[in-house]
Amino acid sequence: MPIIETRELRKVFRSVKRTPGAGGALKTLFSREYVDKVAVTGVTMALDAGELVGYIGPNGAGKSTTIKMLTGILVPTSGEVRVAGIVPYAKRSENARNIGVVFGQRSQLYWDLPLIESFELLRAIYDVSPQRYRENMDYFTELLEMSDFLNTPVRQLSLGQRMRGDFAAAMLHDPRVVFLDEPTIGLDVVAKEAIRNFIAGVNRERGTTFILTTHDLADVERLCRRIVLIDRGTLIFDGAIETLRDGYGTHRTLVVELCAPETHVEVDGAEAELTTPTIARFRFDRRTMSAEALVRRVTERYAVSDISIEEPELESIIRRIYREGYVTEPDGEPAAT
Amino acid sequence: MRFRVAPYLAFAKKAFAREATYRMEVFTNVGSLLARLYLMKMVWVALYAQNAAPAGVPLHAIITYTAIALLMSLVLEIDGTRIIRDRVREGSIATDLMKPINLPLYFFSDGFGQTLLHAVLIVPSLLLALFIVRIDVPSPFVLLAFALSFALGYVVNFLMNFLMNAIAFWTLETFAIQLIIRWVSDLLGGQIVPLIFFPGFLQQIVLALPFAAVYSTPLLIYLGKIPPSAYAAAFATQLAWTAGFAILATFVWRGALQRVVVQGG
Repeated sequence: MPIIETRELRKVFRSVKRTPGAGGALKTLFSREYVDKVAVTGVTMALDAGELVGYIGPNGAGKSTTIKMLTGILVPTSGEVRVAGIVPYAKRSENARNIGVVFGQRSQLYWDLPLIESFELLRAIYDVSPQRYRENMDYFTELLEMSDFLNTPVRQLSLGQRMRGDFAAAMLHDPRVVFLDEPTIGLDVVAKEAIRNFIAGVNRERGTTFILTTHDLADVERLCRRIVLIDRGTLIFDGAIETLRDGYGTHRTLVVELCAPETHVEVDGAEAELTTPTIARFRFDRRTMSAEALVRRVTERYAVSDISIEEPELESIIRRIYREGYVTEPDGEPAAT
Repeated sequence: MRFRVAPYLAFAKKAFAREATYRMEVFTNVGSLLARLYLMKMVWVALYAQNAAPAGVPLHAIITYTAIALLMSLVLEIDGTRIIRDRVREGSIATDLMKPINLPLYFFSDGFGQTLLHAVLIVPSLLLALFIVRIDVPSPFVLLAFALSFALGYVVNFLMNFLMNAIAFWTLETFAIQLIIRWVSDLLGGQIVPLIFFPGFLQQIVLALPFAAVYSTPLLIYLGKIPPSAYAAAFATQLAWTAGFAILATFVWRGALQRVVVQGG
């Protein structure tokens, strides 16, 4: 049975129509005309326990609206939603025990108090047994290397330390599902990697289900096997990252380091380009040309000291989908922009 | 679901600790209280030198009244529900709603924790105040009645603050409204001038307002202007305001939640 299940989930926001200008402001005060804005249009998805899914979409696509419905703080206009067998908005409190939430842009720690005090508060809120609390604290303190700043007031922590604290805070009560909203935003590369390792580790060792919403596709590439793409309130893709790559990433780039400097390079069946006099890039369509054949052609013509093949980045694929919409049978146009 | 007290005790404890980190503010509070007490004493002494004691309240009684009112304000001026306004504006109310807790009770516990820290200051402030003024002390029975009435006044005050801060769910900005209500309630609640000094008709009105339940009722009990025979009626009035505001707060809270969960805040 899936741990998260939605069927035709839909959310329409209704707001008062505003007319510009002072007269308009007065008019809004007395007359009530409404505008409906569809934020989420019939989202149907199922996630199994232990999955680590990237939930991706441009700003305003309906990501946070969906997450809010899954966490129970937003009532859907229509459709069904279940998280760990519970209808979140109907039993918000019960649902809260099954979920954890981390917002990269918003901390749930007590600003003025030492970090450890926030954990103790959460222990009381979720009624974590003293033994389990100790176990989890040991586990998280070690995994997130928090021992140095457990007694530091949160306002004095660096962003990286604070995020680690927020992660521990969200997971102290052993939630089955954890929602991550831009968890690595603003972090340096080392801190980002630490957070990613932590997520991957907890997912592997404890089987916690993660839903990751982010604009940093490196997070998704590093962590998720499956991604769900949403745009203008509608799911446009749900599947393995490889599927997306296979469908869209028809082009690869062969990067070649030449022994001798050249002024011009050319090979049949690939677009050639010199980035420096000794580094040449050959973009090729893998459906019409195999990498092996291209390598042979290149080495026949030039003396080569090193060779590598670049995969198209997820980012450029996603960018293209945002721009052009998702098509199941994409043509052979270059994925990169 | 089973109700547990532990989280709310923890909220109060954390709020207490948090408040204690602002040491400067705490000391300034006491300092400002003593300054206000000294000024009020001078005002009353000057006024009494010219006039006969109004409403049968002699000078020592009015000074006692002023001192106790100021000490009460240490606790009553703490707006524990300010947190609602802050969290709605920051949008963190959404994260709060993702916790298995009763939010109004959370706000109350947090406010109570803050209050408790300031209540602790009453004792040293009282001792310092004794250097400035002499305070009458009534019988233990009256003191007990005063304490009970003060507690009820605290709840009425909390509920009024709660309602005001809950406006933030609709307008986001509540500061101006609160400032006006604070001034009106200080004056009409009898914090500055006893309500029994108001002329006949006006007195009937202000005594009937909810503000009187916060400062005036406990203070008049302390002063003996509400005699033991009238205690029952005084408590009943305070309880009625408590119940009335609690019901109103429940509706307002439901409306606010509805707004968040339907409109997305």
